[in-house]
Amino acid sequence: MKSFWVHLAYDSRSALRDSGRLLLFHLFPLAFFGLCGGFMATANPYFRQAMLPGMVLFAVMSATLLAAPSALVQARENGVFRSFRVNGVPSVSILSIPVIGTALHVALAATVISVAGAWLFGGRVPASMAGFAAAALLSYATHAGVGVLIGVVADRDSSAILAAQFVFVPSILLGGMMVPERILSAVVQRVALLLPATHCMRAFAWLGGMGDGPAPWSSLTVLGSSTVLSFALAGALFEWDARANRPSRRRYAAILATVPYAVAALIGA
Amino acid sequence: MLDAIVSVCRLRKLYGATVALDEVSFEARRGEVFALLGPNGSGKTSTLEVLEGLRRADGGSLSIDGIDPACQPRKLWSRIGVQLQTSALPSAMTVDETMRFFCTYHGVRTRHDLIERLGLSEKASTPYAQLSAGQQRRLALAVALANEPAVVFLDEPTAGLDVQSRADLHALVGELKARGATVVLATHDMAEAEKLADRVAILLRGRVAAIGSPRQLTVAARRKTRISVATENGRLADRRPELPAAAFEGVTDGYVSYLCSSVATTVSAIVAWLERDGDRLVDLRVERPGLEECFLEITADHPVEGGAA
Repeated sequence: MKSFWVHLAYDSRSALRDSGRLLLFHLFPLAFFGLCGGFMATANPYFRQAMLPGMVLFAVMSATLLAAPSALVQARENGVFRSFRVNGVPSVSILSIPVIGTALHVALAATVISVAGAWLFGGRVPASMAGFAAAALLSYATHAGVGVLIGVVADRDSSAILAAQFVFVPSILLGGMMVPERILSAVVQRVALLLPATHCMRAFAWLGGMGDGPAPWSSLTVLGSSTVLSFALAGALFEWDARANRPSRRRYAAILATVPYAVAALIGA
Repeated sequence: MLDAIVSVCRLRKLYGATVALDEVSFEARRGEVFALLGPNGSGKTSTLEVLEGLRRADGGSLSIDGIDPACQPRKLWSRIGVQLQTSALPSAMTVDETMRFFCTYHGVRTRHDLIERLGLSEKASTPYAQLSAGQQRRLALAVALANEPAVVFLDEPTAGLDVQSRADLHALVGELKARGATVVLATHDMAEAEKLADRVAILLRGRVAAIGSPRQLTVAARRKTRISVATENGRLADRRPELPAAAFEGVTDGYVSYLCSSVATTVSAIVAWLERDGDRLVDLRVERPGLEECFLEITADHPVEGGAA
């Protein structure tokens, strides 16, 4: 247990020394929040309603999709995991501790966004802060699973960045963060269901008491099952050494993590 | 062998269709420094990585302190220390943090003494990425020794080290040996192997081409002893007389070289010839064949066409 705390303490400290991670954990989401809050809040009435969940979700995605996969790929490529392995560091620590350490940074950014969004830009305050926090936690867990899985299966940094952007960019455009899901065309709504962000925004709306719709049980199920699947697959597909084997076909099993989203899109739930 | 702590029997390792290790067998005794020598691609690193539990063998049997690396890797890693040829530590981790981090995972107190012993005290707060290549190697070595391992695996341990650091590492290997640890090292450096190793295995194309102490290997070599002589008037160089048990080799920088099978006979003959000819001896050097010559002889007998990592 002591090794867990020492590892976690190091991971949290190391993020403060790494300008790249600090940028993606704090500066990028807060700067984007400032820009959107300044311009979008007046131009787009929907944005005031979606500002807090949307910008918190943006901070979550920035940390989990843009920062985490590259860190995993680089550590594997550089041989850091080889050093860890021969010194008895378990793979579960390698995969879980950065997720927990990053959560602390995301929580800080999310708190700043939540307070400043309501106070400075007139963002709608959730009726239930506890529910809002629960939705934020679920969103973080889901995206962290996706980010870790990308980092585990990507054979090089550029592949990880590409895969992460494949989730990140459509999420911003179609995930309900900038425009409401209901104004999208029927086909695009189905496509949006392939993105974790769409289900996260539904969870924020319901758990935070910010919408009038029915409980999004399907979205909550999709998020929960996707989180479990992503972490389980990441654990199963984890490779210690980039040199030991050629990229294995096993890594295509990661596609299984998309099954909950595919089912949701197929049935339109 | 009664006190073997590392035992490798008919080890086989394949990378696809490429045979990296083929029927490799050797044993390293408790408290011995055992060196694996070989050209690039001969299988040294593959052998070490299978022994370290980083790769699975495709055949043969292995035992390190009674542990099969494939079956009990966690138990193995608690008993061994490993300095890998290609590895890294987290770039933002300082020297102190690195030692604390790995000592915690090994369940031992933080080994500040190793940081001091390896000359890294002044860099205790420096992140790994800001250390020089030699300092990074020394830190990796400190981590490898953190758990007081019974067997230490060193893969090209002096690569990238300056002269002083090399000497320090050689002294440290001596200390490890003195406290009873077994050191298995892979190296290209013949002088290092000759100086440090009690026994050496020469690997070629994934097979053990020769094994024994450096002295045993050099004695077994066919190479002859070189005698180089400089004289006052240079008459030996001009006349190049036939000498018993010796063959003229050449003249370089005023030194006449002979390759001989009996040093005493040849030296006596040279001195007698110089006295007869009225010349005087200025310098005489005897160069016995070393491990490097032995290695070159063996590699010449087994030309390398390809091989393993």
